[in-house]
Amino acid sequence: MTEFVLALVLGLLFALGTFLVLRRDVVRVVWGVSIISQAANVYLVTMGLLDGSVPVLEGHGEGAGAVTDPLVQALVLTAIVIGFGTTAFALVLTYRVYEEHGTIDLLELGGETDGN
Amino acid sequence: MSYGDDTTVIARTVARITLPLVLVVAISLLFQGHNLPGGGFIAGVLTAAAFALVYIVFGMEYVQETIFGDEYEPDGSVAGPAVVDRYRTLFGVGLAVAAGTGLGAMAFGKPFLTHTDEVVKPSTEYVAWIPGADFIFGTLFKFHWATAFLFDIGVYFVVVGGLLAILAVVGGE
Amino acid sequence: MATEQLVVAPLLVALVTAILTLVVHRYVRAQKAVSALGGVAYVGAVAMLIQRVRSGAGSHGVEGVLTYQLSNWGAPFGITLVADDLSAFMLGLTAVVSLLALAFSILYVDEAGQRVSYHPLYHFMLVGVTGSFLTADIFNLFVWFEVMLMSSYVLVVFYSGPRHTKAALQYVVLNLVGSAFMLLAIGGLYSTTGTLNMADMARRLADPASFGITLAPVLGLSAVLFVVFALKAGIVPFQWWVPAAYRAAPAPVSAMLAGVVKKVGIYAIIRLYFTVFANAAPMDLALPGVVGESTLAFFGPVLFIMGAASIILGGVAAVNRDNVDDLLAYSSIGQVGFIVIALAFAAGGVVAGWQAPEPYGSVAVLGLAAALVYSLNHALAKAALFLASGAVYESVGSIEFEDLGGIAGRMPLLSAGFFVAALSLVGIPPLVGFFGKFLVFDAAVNAGSNLGIGLALLGAILTIAYVTRAWNRGFWGERSEAVEQATPQYGLFATVLVLAVVALGVGVAFDPVVEAAIDAANAALETGDYIEAVGLEDSLTSDGGGH
Repeated sequence: MTEFVLALVLGLLFALGTFLVLRRDVVRVVWGVSIISQAANVYLVTMGLLDGSVPVLEGHGEGAGAVTDPLVQALVLTAIVIGFGTTAFALVLTYRVYEEHGTIDLLELGGETDGN
Repeated sequence: MSYGDDTTVIARTVARITLPLVLVVAISLLFQGHNLPGGGFIAGVLTAAAFALVYIVFGMEYVQETIFGDEYEPDGSVAGPAVVDRYRTLFGVGLAVAAGTGLGAMAFGKPFLTHTDEVVKPSTEYVAWIPGADFIFGTLFKFHWATAFLFDIGVYFVVVGGLLAILAVVGGE
Repeated sequence: MATEQLVVAPLLVALVTAILTLVVHRYVRAQKAVSALGGVAYVGAVAMLIQRVRSGAGSHGVEGVLTYQLSNWGAPFGITLVADDLSAFMLGLTAVVSLLALAFSILYVDEAGQRVSYHPLYHFMLVGVTGSFLTADIFNLFVWFEVMLMSSYVLVVFYSGPRHTKAALQYVVLNLVGSAFMLLAIGGLYSTTGTLNMADMARRLADPASFGITLAPVLGLSAVLFVVFALKAGIVPFQWWVPAAYRAAPAPVSAMLAGVVKKVGIYAIIRLYFTVFANAAPMDLALPGVVGESTLAFFGPVLFIMGAASIILGGVAAVNRDNVDDLLAYSSIGQVGFIVIALAFAAGGVVAGWQAPEPYGSVAVLGLAAALVYSLNHALAKAALFLASGAVYESVGSIEFEDLGGIAGRMPLLSAGFFVAALSLVGIPPLVGFFGKFLVFDAAVNAGSNLGIGLALLGAILTIAYVTRAWNRGFWGERSEAVEQATPQYGLFATVLVLAVVALGVGVAFDPVVEAAIDAANAALETGDYIEAVGLEDSLTSDGGGH
């Protein structure tokens, strides 16, 4: 049951993120990207296996039964910190786009750059 | 003049009460981070949140003029307000501390970032006659030091410096 | 103990330099001095490490593979760094390009820009690149990728004009999505194999039954991961961010992106797909057009198609660009195509066991050596060309072909540098580019791929076409007004010339380089040694999967 719910939530998060990334509004794009990376984090947490002992608990885990894998949580913490930095950067970048072009609409921006 | 004239008295009062609490929690998280939930990152985020509260309620001028004694010029130059420079230095110092703890291990011939810790208890040999000596010297004055704490302090500075720099630059414009 | 510390030395030198430049950021001169010294120290650290690896020092009794356990946590739980011939080759290439691009930046990037954060970011990018080349932990690879990308975002965005903000935004968003996918693939691989250590993963994949692994998801997950690396390397169909980002970034950063950062994607493909995934025990691939039972049987054709498309698209698009940076950006897509088809031949060689004459022994080694030598050529030549483009911009004020003409007469030094680098890109002996192209052709011939030979030939012709056009439009012909009024920047020209001379020198003294490349190719294929050096029990030696 848990797996089913988590799978559903993951699917929804990815769908929402993808939908937002495809919008014209830069702020929405940034939201979309950060939702996708959060979804990846949720996915990582669900990868935590319930398969007994792990080396970090050697000597400390007396009496504990099945434990979730702490490694994925460490990974997710790292990923969250990185995602935090990149989101902050993307928002600052959005602000700069607005400052320089007076718009955050990607189609309007498209007319101003050369080439692509 | 007083700061924060454009915020409500409720906001200012709440800010005054919560600010010390947030900072104390942040510091306790920092101190237990080397072997319990907590650590430099989360403590740094909380500290930055406390500063963000001050920015919102009292304004950036307040922080800049009363805490650092800098002149406030909201000109939005490339480098942002003067206080950003201080945050950037803090960020650099934090990184240096964190990397320094890693390099320190190499001086002892251990791989980069190797950490060590030890529990120090004062000897109760000569004071055993005092009632409760075991409790006083064995538990109360027991001290657990870890080099990972130094690393955490570095991380704390990095996070505080980095976040406040972002807040000041974006908020200053 | 002293030798082991050397493994981490390049990483630490770059890290310490980055931090020091940050700490002294208020004193511009001190910052420049620290930055330049750090760049030199980095070259020194890399040179010592290469010397150490080449002299056959090794860990756990394996010659030429040095390992290092960060924080003193044992493998496979702690993060392992591995310096073998492959890592050493890539680090050497990085060191040369990074030092010259750094020297160029000090003269090129304006004072205000340097003061804010250019130097710390540059060195953090170097930290990320170095970490990616050294790490043997797949999640750690993700972290180093992020370090590298985060710095490159800022370098691309904040030193470009308002015209390029959209390009920068595109670059950032694309790579952020790429990072999320990388995380997904890594999470999946972890839950499938139960490990993040590359050596441990290779060991488990080779013997899935005793570790209780189902192999079926590995192919799909490695394909997701492949997309991310292809994105970083800018291979068709993930190439579209390349021209916009290179145009937006300042010249030395473009040189680093094209010369070094792209190679991180190539390196990751070699390391993960040839060292780790290639040894997945025979799995049943019921896919159309896939012959063989290794994951490389699937990735071989994929690499070939993507490489072929890159050569054609990059080459054709480069021919009619109207400014130097655009031309170089599209050219770098085409040139990476050469590297990728060499990898495809190597993959075919691994699957089919094709033989090649000595000193290579097999097409697998020949293909990988070709890819590595070509990477070196592309790093040197393309970096020199991007720096030359920056020097032209700084001197003349424009890099549009319509404003240029007759630079050769006005600025002979710069023109000589450009000319040599361009010839190396084309592949004229005795420059390193000749050997790169030659090895790619050799791999194609030994793989018996007529299509491959034809493609490489087409790519070579396209290269000649666009390089000639750039030379004719920019450097020969009548002097344009802008060129006539140019103020030559001799410091910048010197760095271009040095890179060109290095490309020439590597070509003249090619024997040690090709030996290093062959050893690196062997290191990539010797999974057994890799696992043993990390200190894990090798389950590969019995079944011969590791050659």
